[in-house]
Order: sequence, then C-alpha cells, then structure tokens
Amino acid sequence: MKSIFLIDDDPIFVYLTRRIIASINCPCQINEFTDGELAISYLSQIGDQAELLPDVIFLDLSMPVMDGWEFLKEYSELKPKLKKDIALFIVSSSISPHEVERSKSYRAVTDFLIKPVEKGKIIEIMDNVKV
Amino acid sequence: MEQLDRQKAFYENILNKLPTDIAVFDAEHRYLFVNPGAISKEEYRKFIIGKDDYEYVAYRNRDISVAHQRRAKFLEVKNSGKEIRWEDTLPDPQGNMITHLRRMYPVYDEHGELSMVIGFGIDITDRKKMEEKQAALVTQLSTRNTQLTDFCSIVSHNLRAPLVNMSMLADFIEASDDPAEQKMLISKLRPVIDNLHATFNELVESIQIRQDLEIKREDVCLKDCLQRTIDGLQTEINKLGAKIETDFTEIGVINYPPQYLNSIIHNLVSNSLKYHYPGRRPLISIKTRKEGEKVILSVEDNGLGIDLVKHRENFFKIGKVFHRHPNAKGFGLYMTKTQVEAMGGRIWVESVPEEGSVFNIEFDNRIKKVS
Repeated sequence: MKSIFLIDDDPIFVYLTRRIIASINCPCQINEFTDGELAISYLSQIGDQAELLPDVIFLDLSMPVMDGWEFLKEYSELKPKLKKDIALFIVSSSISPHEVERSKSYRAVTDFLIKPVEKGKIIEIMDNVKV
Repeated sequence: MEQLDRQKAFYENILNKLPTDIAVFDAEHRYLFVNPGAISKEEYRKFIIGKDDYEYVAYRNRDISVAHQRRAKFLEVKNSGKEIRWEDTLPDPQGNMITHLRRMYPVYDEHGELSMVIGFGIDITDRKKMEEKQAALVTQLSTRNTQLTDFCSIVSHNLRAPLVNMSMLADFIEASDDPAEQKMLISKLRPVIDNLHATFNELVESIQIRQDLEIKREDVCLKDCLQRTIDGLQTEINKLGAKIETDFTEIGVINYPPQYLNSIIHNLVSNSLKYHYPGRRPLISIKTRKEGEKVILSVEDNGLGIDLVKHRENFFKIGKVFHRHPNAKGFGLYMTKTQVEAMGGRIWVESVPEEGSVFNIEFDNRIKKVS
C-alpha cells in the first residue's frame, strides 16, 4: 500500500483530496497533519523506519504555527537522514510566480501544484510511486 | 601703489561678495581673514583678526564646545596635511536649522612650511531638505511595496483558497447522483462561504484604514472604551474566569479615532483570552503611562506567550498564526498594527513562552490629561 502525508490546515480541502484519492482506485494510507510542526516532529521520529515513511508528501504553504516554507527549511535538513526517497509536492492556492520561483530553491521539492489539483495529476503522481 | 590698492580692493570685494563663508587661519589657528559670509557684523570681523576661536567664543559669550570642535578640525588638517570635508547643522539666529558643507585645507609656502589653512562652507540646507524628503519618500514607497506584497499574498492564500474549495465542492455536487450526498456536500459550502466573507470584509477594512488619512480624532476615555470590549467578551471572560486589571491614573483619555481605539483594545484583550494558558486563570493587566511626550498603552497577560526568537520578524504580518486555535486567521494583529501605524504610532511585543506577553502601543503626542 502506498502512503501519503497530507500537510494542510484546511479541513475542506483535505476532505476533498481524500475523496479524489479514494476515487482513483489506488489503495493508500493517508496521514493528515494540520501544520508543518506536527508533520516535521513525526517525520523526525520515524526517519529511520522506511515502512512508516510516506511515498508522497502534499504540503500546503499557508498554515498556522509552522508554515510550508518553515517546514521546507527543516525538512531539507532532515531529508538526508530519512530512509526513503520521498516525493514532495507543494499544493497551494497561491498563484504567485514569486512563490513558485522560491520553491525551486529547495531540492526536496518535486513540483509546485496550484489548487485545485486535477484528478489526472494525482493519478500520475501515484503511478510514479514504485511499491 | 594706487594700482596695488585698487587690486587689493578688487580681490577683497570678490571674497566679500562670494555667497560662501570663508575663514583663513595661520599655522596656530589664529584668524587671518574672514568674509561677511562667515561673520556678518563688521565689528566682530575686526575683532577676530589675530585671535583664535577660544578668544572669539569668550568675546561672543558662546559655548566653549564650539571652539573645541573647530580646534579639532583644524588640528586634523594640520596634522594630516590633507583637505577634510564635513557637514554640520546649526541653528541660525532665527532658530532655523542650517546645514553647511565645510571644507578645510592646508596651504604651504615655498619651503614646505604650513603658511595658512583655508576653510569655507556652503549652505546646503535646501539640498539637505530635499534629501530628507527623498529618504522619507523611499521609506514610504518601500512600506507601500511591503503592503502590496502582503496584499498579493492574502489574495492568493486567503481569498483564492476558499474559492478553490467552492469550485471543487461544486464539481463534486455536479458529479453526484445521490441526493443525500449532494446535501452533505452543500452543507460543507456554508463554512467556506462564511470564511470567504469574513476574509473579504477584513481585507476591505484594512484597505480603508490605509486610505482614511482624514479620519477624525476625538478624546476617547480609555475606561469606557475598555468597558465596551469587556461587554463584548463577557461570555468568554466568565467562562475562563479571567481577571482584568486596569491602571489609567497617569493617562485616562487619548485623542484618537474612537473606532480604532475600540478595535485595538478589543483585539489585544480578545487575543489574551484566546491564547490563555490552559488551566491558568487569565490575568490581563491594562495600563497607560507617559514617556516624555509619548503615551504608552500596555496590555499584559499570563497566557501562552510566544517564541520571539523564532517569530519576531513575522509577528505582525498578515496571515501569520502561531498557535493551534480554530479561530485564528492571522488578521487581528495585522489590523492592529495597521491602525496604530496609520495614526503615526508604533506597536511592539515582549513575551516569554508559557509565561505571557506584553503588547505595547506608543501613541503620538497629541494627548489629553485626565480632567
């Protein structure tokens, strides 16, 4: 089973994303985190347990406590210690070219997806995950 | 001989008519020449020849520090053998601040001995004022630019996000054949719409603050203002058993736009309640004090506090939320800061995590004492 970490504080968006994933016939385990800090502290706990680490992270930018950018900073430091190659997608409602540009400075970021994310894109991402 | 006198008069005339102040010193810093640009009264001009600045300030009954400063500049030129330049700003007899660009340089005779030091100054007050205006403009522009960036970010994140949710929900509703499911999805639209509405209103309000330069000030009684906040938050205050202390003995009335002051106090008190330390009875202490010409209003609590090492830079930024709270949107402090700054004041915070926070607001000096 593939595993996804959904880091987003917007319950409606999380609900809708879950529904899209459920509809694509790809059995997945989804873990939700409502801010970057909850996600980073869990990731650092399970860093050496490949079976617990996700295949894909969907990361929102605008979040309380620790936003997406702050998460990326800490995640970039943590990444070399993680026992799994994780694809990380920023999923943001932002259409600011400045933010897209900024995301390119993080090697940990696979791509910048602008909400709403098409079902086809999610299928493509999940197909790319090798189990 | 007559020709020589004519020549002397000619050159003196030039030196006297130059719109520059000129002073020439011997190697011991005694005056050899000053023109009317430097000292307008002939009597003083005559006195100073052959004397130094210490004798002159004593004669004119001026502060000796002026002589110290001039001696220091002179020695700098004499010892280095090089020209120096500096700017000084002093009040003229009418009390206007006048800025001069001054230069001083040594002149040597054929044996390489210092024969004199020439100093002159040009009034650059106009240029200085222009520079100050430009600097103020640059500051204003960069503030505006930050505001614009904030605005773009808020439109992008806080307005577009609910729109995305609404359009996704609409897609799901359209795709569904099950009325029960459709109904459930429709019920999810309501909070999204409410959220969009609230964000929109707050955004409009913050733009209005920036445009409302002519907003009316009046004398606002802090006690009444706080009472309105307490009335509005009574349920919350009772629920938490919060205690609110005040000390407005030093300053009880502030000349300020009443709606701003209401909003500022409401925001700060409601924040203190919202971010109370779990299980600790909230104690909020609101005080005013005078610091010189300024009035400081402080709101202190014993709440969650905040890690300023991490968050100082973003503290008052729009959309920034530091605690997990369902109703936090990151608008309140941004609005408070906008209101305070629109009226020429400033706001800052001191805090220790898990102990509490103090918000300080400095109002400008248009104050009224308690009558």
